[in-house]
Amino acid sequence: MIRNIAILAAIGAFTAMADDALPKAETILDHYIEVTGGKAVYEKRTSEISTGTIEFAAQGLKGTLTRYAAAPDKTYATMELDGVGKVESGSVNGVAWEKSAMMGPRVKSGDEKSQSLREAQFNGALNWRKIYPKAETAGVETVEGQECYKISLTPAEGKTETAYFSKKTGLEVKRSTVAASPMGEVPVDAVVSEYKDFGGILQPTKLIQRVAGQELVITIQSVKFNEQIPADKFDPPAEIKALMNKAAQ
Amino acid sequence: MFVSGQAKKGVSGTPRGFACTAGVDRSLWSRLARLELMRSLLGILLLAGTLRAQLTPGQKQLNLDSFEKVWTTIRDQHWEKNPGGLDWQAIHEEFRPRIEKADSIDATRALLREMLDRLHQTHFAIIPSTVYSDVDVTLGDGSPGLDLRVIDGQAVVTRVDPGSPAEKAGVKLGWAVVSAGGKDLAPVIEKLKSDPSMHELMLERAVLARLSGPEGGKLHVVFLDAANRNVALDLDLGDPRGIPAKFGNLPPQYVWFEAKKIDGAQYVAFNMFLDLPRIMGNFGDAVNSCLKCDGLIIDLRGNPGGIGGMAMGMAGFLVDQAGRKLGTMYMRGATINFAVLPRPEVFKGPVAVLVDGSSASTSEIFAGGLKDLGRARIFGTKSAAAALPSIIDKLPNGDGFQYAMANYISDGGKPLEGNGVIPDQEVKLTRKALLAGHDPVVDAAIEWIQKQRGPK
Repeated sequence: MIRNIAILAAIGAFTAMADDALPKAETILDHYIEVTGGKAVYEKRTSEISTGTIEFAAQGLKGTLTRYAAAPDKTYATMELDGVGKVESGSVNGVAWEKSAMMGPRVKSGDEKSQSLREAQFNGALNWRKIYPKAETAGVETVEGQECYKISLTPAEGKTETAYFSKKTGLEVKRSTVAASPMGEVPVDAVVSEYKDFGGILQPTKLIQRVAGQELVITIQSVKFNEQIPADKFDPPAEIKALMNKAAQ
Repeated sequence: MFVSGQAKKGVSGTPRGFACTAGVDRSLWSRLARLELMRSLLGILLLAGTLRAQLTPGQKQLNLDSFEKVWTTIRDQHWEKNPGGLDWQAIHEEFRPRIEKADSIDATRALLREMLDRLHQTHFAIIPSTVYSDVDVTLGDGSPGLDLRVIDGQAVVTRVDPGSPAEKAGVKLGWAVVSAGGKDLAPVIEKLKSDPSMHELMLERAVLARLSGPEGGKLHVVFLDAANRNVALDLDLGDPRGIPAKFGNLPPQYVWFEAKKIDGAQYVAFNMFLDLPRIMGNFGDAVNSCLKCDGLIIDLRGNPGGIGGMAMGMAGFLVDQAGRKLGTMYMRGATINFAVLPRPEVFKGPVAVLVDGSSASTSEIFAGGLKDLGRARIFGTKSAAAALPSIIDKLPNGDGFQYAMANYISDGGKPLEGNGVIPDQEVKLTRKALLAGHDPVVDAAIEWIQKQRGPK
């Protein structure tokens, strides 16, 4: 209750301030930390297990997702998509990898690797300064019916991203990135919504990703913090280790 | 029914080929399937004898909504801002009043198909809702277990499935089908061949469709045997070859995979790029179990395509250089490389890929890309030239709508659409060779592989 009141107060102050001039990007990004739960709550989190569903509605494809993450930068995710099978991916000790029935095992490199490692940073919202050395407010735009601050986020490696934060709530509404992969660079718009409280942190539970006219919906069903995750959960599969050894020779 | 595989029921009602492009996201793009679909035969086979029923005002509105969805999708998703070089707004103004007057679902479908035909591009189709209804029943369509090709105007048996009713009844390779269900095939073939828009793939499927029926039933078929004598058989109609697989909005399809050793080479064939986990696993096992074989023969004759990404994944077993690609897909707002990611173990020997006029879509992407990379020698006849990546969506009236959302250019710089894959060595099937127990295309591939190997 106290936290909610604090959030409302913060939103009010932020909105009043925003009416006068464009706030600095760091103000908007720090404000996001506050409205989603506050620095102290974020800092108590050391691991996260989330589950959800994935759907390409227009194509009738559905699947499930499970993602494990731990501080400072470990992830392991698995996706099962009907008719496609299992896709595993992970990041650990500076290595980003993926393994699927379609493409086999592979170790990521270049922009794709740096993007994956960036996304693997635990408590990414809290650690935005580490992830994006440069952040600038680029204007105000209406996105998904909401008036939003537009922020340019430039990582140490890779393309600049554009994030949109609601003037009214301070919550992120959309992020535009250029996804890097061996298949090339693909512009991706990700609209996030339906924020819910998980262990004191507000997190979006609906993610709509649009690429070249196609739409993918990810729905988060559960998020658990500080659960015990087996130490070997983040170990890359044997095939990935073999590729790493091969590359090292 | 598929020429070299068998689709389930609804032979004439099942979209042949497919694939949808599953959406995308930064890291998900590479994991998700892009499917290519080739043009459905449905329009041709179902349009003529369906009943006309009066539409309720609600059904009329659903048909109008369906028209708007089809028109808008092409306006927004087609890779060209002026789809097919047309004034797309003018197309709307022409067709909307006609759709409003359409008094049946069939009339609506016919108009939608007429509109799509204006594009003069493959992979645009309307799939009747009946194909989707009662999926389990659809999975029950019966097949005698054989495959056909039209050779010199005759429907000739090119494969008899092991253990199938056709094999049990004594049907042999090279026999020609005279009639099925009391209907002569020659006039059907002649009529279909007279249509210049008819792909070889569509022709063969239309002919093969005549050899199907309710599962558990019987079909009276008259063949010409090796001595050109009539042989009349009542063939049981059983399960099609393979295992049923489902992918998104695509109606269920039976998918089979075959691998065997022929004269020191590994031969693999599969009827579709579908059932991804199983077929990729089978393909990987077949290649990895034969890394020291004299050569690899990949038979894609009759394979209409499927999930585009599988072409990339399979190429990874054959190409050991990173940074290569089969081709490039151009969508509105994105350009996607069909990248080849070498597997931990790669087959380095000679690779022969067999194609014919019924090899379409992903088959063409795979064969054409490997040819352009200099990694495979192509044997057979020119492929279907129908290689646009497409997806299948559902319309408000319940019909399916297949649309291409990208153009595809093979690594050699040419679009496969309209051009196809031209074999390095053209080899045609002949009835005479089949009757003698030979497949001249496989024979040519074996001969080439043995030349690469040199004397033992």
